[in-house]
Amino acid sequence: MEEKIHELIETTKSKALSSQSIRELTDLKVEILGKSGALTGILRGLKDLSPDLRPAMGKIVNEAREKIEAFIALRLSELEREELDKKLSKERIDISIDKNIPLGKLHPLNVIKRKAIDFFVSMGFMVSDSPEIETTYYNFDMLNIPPDHPARELQDTFFITDKILLRTQTSAGQIRTMEKVKPPIKMISPGRVFRSDEADATHTPCFHQLEGLVVDKGITMCDLKGILSSFAKHFFDKDTTIRFRPSYFPFTEPSVEVDVSCVHCGGKGCNVCKGTGFIEILGAGMVNRRVLSGCGIDPDVYTGFAFGMGLDRITAIIHGINDARVPFEGDVRFLKQF
Amino acid sequence: MKLPISWLKEFVDTDESAENISKVLVGIGFEVEDVIRYGNFSGVVIGKIKAIEPHPNADKLRICSVDVGNENVTIVTGAKNVQVGDVVPVALDGAVLLDKKIVAAPLRGVMSYGMMCSGAELGISEAFCDGASVDGIMILSNDLTVGEDLIKALSLDEVVLDVSITANRPDCHSIIGLAREVATALGCKFIAPSIDFTVHSGGIMPKVNITSPDCSDYTCGLIEDVKIEKSPKWMQRRLFMSDIHPINNIVDITNYVLLEIGQPLHAFDFDLLEGNINVRTGQNEKLVALNDEEYTLTSTMTVIADDKKPLAIAGVMGGIYSGISNKTRAVLLESARFGRGSVRATSLRLGLRSDSSTKFERGVDCFSVEYGRRRALSLIDKLGYGKVVGDEPIKREYNKTINTTLDEINGILGIEVPKKNIIEILQTLGMEVTMDCRSLAVKIPAYREDIDNFTDLAEEVIRFYGYDKMKETFLPTASVTVGGMTSSQKRKEEIKDIMCSMGAYEIMTYSFTSDSVFDKLNLSPSDGRRNAIRIINPISEDLSVMKTELVSGMASVIFNNLSKKNDNFTLFEFAKTYVGELPLRDLPHENDILCVGMAGGDFYKLKAMFAAVLSRFNIDYTVKRSTEPYLHPGISADFVCDGKVICSLGKLHPSAAKNFGIKKSEVYIGSLDCTLILSAFNATHKYVPLPKFPSVTRDLAFVVSEDAAVGEIMSVIKENDLVGDVELFDIYRGEQIESGNKSVALKITLVPREKTLVDAEISATMENIIERLGKEFGAKVRV
Repeated sequence: MEEKIHELIETTKSKALSSQSIRELTDLKVEILGKSGALTGILRGLKDLSPDLRPAMGKIVNEAREKIEAFIALRLSELEREELDKKLSKERIDISIDKNIPLGKLHPLNVIKRKAIDFFVSMGFMVSDSPEIETTYYNFDMLNIPPDHPARELQDTFFITDKILLRTQTSAGQIRTMEKVKPPIKMISPGRVFRSDEADATHTPCFHQLEGLVVDKGITMCDLKGILSSFAKHFFDKDTTIRFRPSYFPFTEPSVEVDVSCVHCGGKGCNVCKGTGFIEILGAGMVNRRVLSGCGIDPDVYTGFAFGMGLDRITAIIHGINDARVPFEGDVRFLKQF
Repeated sequence: MKLPISWLKEFVDTDESAENISKVLVGIGFEVEDVIRYGNFSGVVIGKIKAIEPHPNADKLRICSVDVGNENVTIVTGAKNVQVGDVVPVALDGAVLLDKKIVAAPLRGVMSYGMMCSGAELGISEAFCDGASVDGIMILSNDLTVGEDLIKALSLDEVVLDVSITANRPDCHSIIGLAREVATALGCKFIAPSIDFTVHSGGIMPKVNITSPDCSDYTCGLIEDVKIEKSPKWMQRRLFMSDIHPINNIVDITNYVLLEIGQPLHAFDFDLLEGNINVRTGQNEKLVALNDEEYTLTSTMTVIADDKKPLAIAGVMGGIYSGISNKTRAVLLESARFGRGSVRATSLRLGLRSDSSTKFERGVDCFSVEYGRRRALSLIDKLGYGKVVGDEPIKREYNKTINTTLDEINGILGIEVPKKNIIEILQTLGMEVTMDCRSLAVKIPAYREDIDNFTDLAEEVIRFYGYDKMKETFLPTASVTVGGMTSSQKRKEEIKDIMCSMGAYEIMTYSFTSDSVFDKLNLSPSDGRRNAIRIINPISEDLSVMKTELVSGMASVIFNNLSKKNDNFTLFEFAKTYVGELPLRDLPHENDILCVGMAGGDFYKLKAMFAAVLSRFNIDYTVKRSTEPYLHPGISADFVCDGKVICSLGKLHPSAAKNFGIKKSEVYIGSLDCTLILSAFNATHKYVPLPKFPSVTRDLAFVVSEDAAVGEIMSVIKENDLVGDVELFDIYRGEQIESGNKSVALKITLVPREKTLVDAEISATMENIIERLGKEFGAKVRV
């Protein structure tokens, strides 16, 4: 009988392992282990054995059952896997197709503006807003630009009345801040400014500046250089360096133009930097003593620096936009690029 | 400011190249806009014509044998003005003229080994070199050495820098002003131009009466035995390089001094003056100026007059009557200072500008008044154009001393500049420095009116000491401050992010527009948005009023996109509108507006975008039909909050679309006034505990009249305590539904509060809902 069982195991095993479908395997399982299956028959035949042989044989039969069940289960999982693979292989899609789920985008200038704000906020600067329609008092008088000063004419201001104008610089925001907040002051004021330039490849009558102001005890021009250098490295590239060139603004003294090493060629000279290796990005200086005292801040106690950068120009440099008008046109093909 | 290098080098003892001088200027704050090179050719030598023969094959050509030093070359020419013995410029084989290369070539069968040149072919003018403007070959002076390079022989290799001068440095709108700066930067000697002359006796100077408040200084010199002729070539050349046309010796000297010293001068024909010189205000009199135009001089203008008549518009232009002519024998030379504001006002009012008025507007100082007059008299004397018989010097002395310390100067800079360097720099710039321990007394020269306090001195020091020597420090003395954006600023950014997350692209447009947009938007004549703030001096009518709404700008951008075949897009703009009571006395309100525009899409998508923003900030609103004239009356809505319409949105009205040139019908626009959102006190969402018991959903389909608003029906259902959510899943109109009605299918989610719902409660709730819908909306349940 043992032999018979052994033979049954072996034949069932080979049948099971060679079965080609789940159906065939299920049939085999019934054939061997079902109510009238071969092994079930043997189990039934045990009652004809002498009682002393029964337990040993019973054990053998049960072991046989477990073995058979195990390799049927093994084969079953193999077949199921094969069947799934076959099914999945028929579900191949063309992965080269792109489906358009529109993700909106900020205007590139605002992306740049946010990046600049992030930097200065991380250094403890507050962000301050001030009106776009301003008085001559804030836009000129308080910035040490008296009525007969040539700067008033140079800037080609849009006027609403003789005392109200479209601000020509975010510097007006410096004054409003200094009137309200007393030192220590660290603030930036990003915003839109206006000059009556006909729109061309490098000018638009509206553009955007980001103004910065620090007023505290013992602030020096080296601090200005430190902050702006760190800004340039954060904003452009860790290897970016800055250069100060003397300049003139009525509201700062000393005043400088600030150049950064060319972001395109790294300072070697290219057509972006016109071969100079540097690109002018902002104007800055130490806050003029008259401006401080005009705002009720004692210039013998406090010093400060201010800077103003053109965000449109910086955006254009970073993205290589060669026409200042395009960012104002709202062409979707432009907006999708960034 | 045009800066001829050869002129500069007269006053700066240096042999640095133009390139290096240009770099130096940039380094000390003067940008060089352009570098202009004269004598921009090569391979041209002095030649002498030895023989001329006719051309065998052409009547209009002649064959010249030209001595070019070491040989005679054959040159075929078409020029008619050359003769044997003439000295001419010869471009030899291989010469380059204004980027054109000259090569030996046969002309009608005869080899020509070069070209004789005209002034135009060499790019030079009469002011540069005699004979340059003749039609034909430029005939040179006989005493030039044959064979010599033309550039060398005539010193044509002039380089001129076009330097831009910052507004605080009127003194640098002069050759000597820049020379002082360059000398300081290079550490070279500055050589001041000569101002010596002999004053002969016999002259009787007119008396000068100053009554105009706009003239602070008035000086003059008197010259007799004047001979009017052409000015010397070197002077003409320098004027030419500075874009001034030479006229005659006296006028040229006044212009030369304007360029060199920065002082506008005026020369009067002294014999035509009657009595005293009166510097007074205008008396509504007429004057014909040097440009032959007549001007009326009013009381706001300063006039130079004699006892009988006006002579000149102070600082702007002289009169033609008393101007210098070939008959002039005596000259009264004026060197004065007029207020820059008044010169500008006069110049603007008359619409008349001159080199003189431009300089006065920039600023003239006591130094240049005195130095300029003396320089002109010195030139007249030296060049023998007349006898100086009178000289009336300036009466005022400029006296300004700044007391400061090394610590103040270094304190603002942040580095310790050695004492020696500070003193040296200030002294080379013409300041007198007295040191006492660490204190400085600095006497400021009259030409540096811009220097006012120690910060100006600090700038002078660092400009020449070098900004590259400054360290980078990180606010070591400053207090720690809390930075960041205000909640309103953050909300603006969040609104933009919400828009982006829903697929909208941000646009940016100008803040001003044309007032014709109000008609395009169909606004009624009384609509408040027509009261736009107007710019006095707009670039054009299209950009003449400040925006009172953003919809028109959005419509234009949509039109532009559609016309470029861009379709199916959503755009948003977050910008300001400007609203104030006209005429504007106070600053207007600047409102923060969100405008969304869609080509393609539908009403509900647009509505959802605005709803998303309002829901983010917990703003409750009700929806009603909109009456905005630019929106489709049936497909538009207003959001009302506290009785105020804060948002209008919908399909663009076909007539408005047409006005903006938009042909596509599916264009949707809306705008939301964000004032309330930005100021709303609490935008924090409060936690609602999640339900503990399983929710139950039931579908409900019913027929209602077309007029019934599904949104309202859903709101009514939500009023039931057990209802957690209501979702619309179908609206059906068709055969089984009586016309004028629609079938609405909703999924209703019931959320129990205290225990799992039993069937009886569910049916009771649903019946309750059905009964209410029947009563309020005439809804009949479909079975």
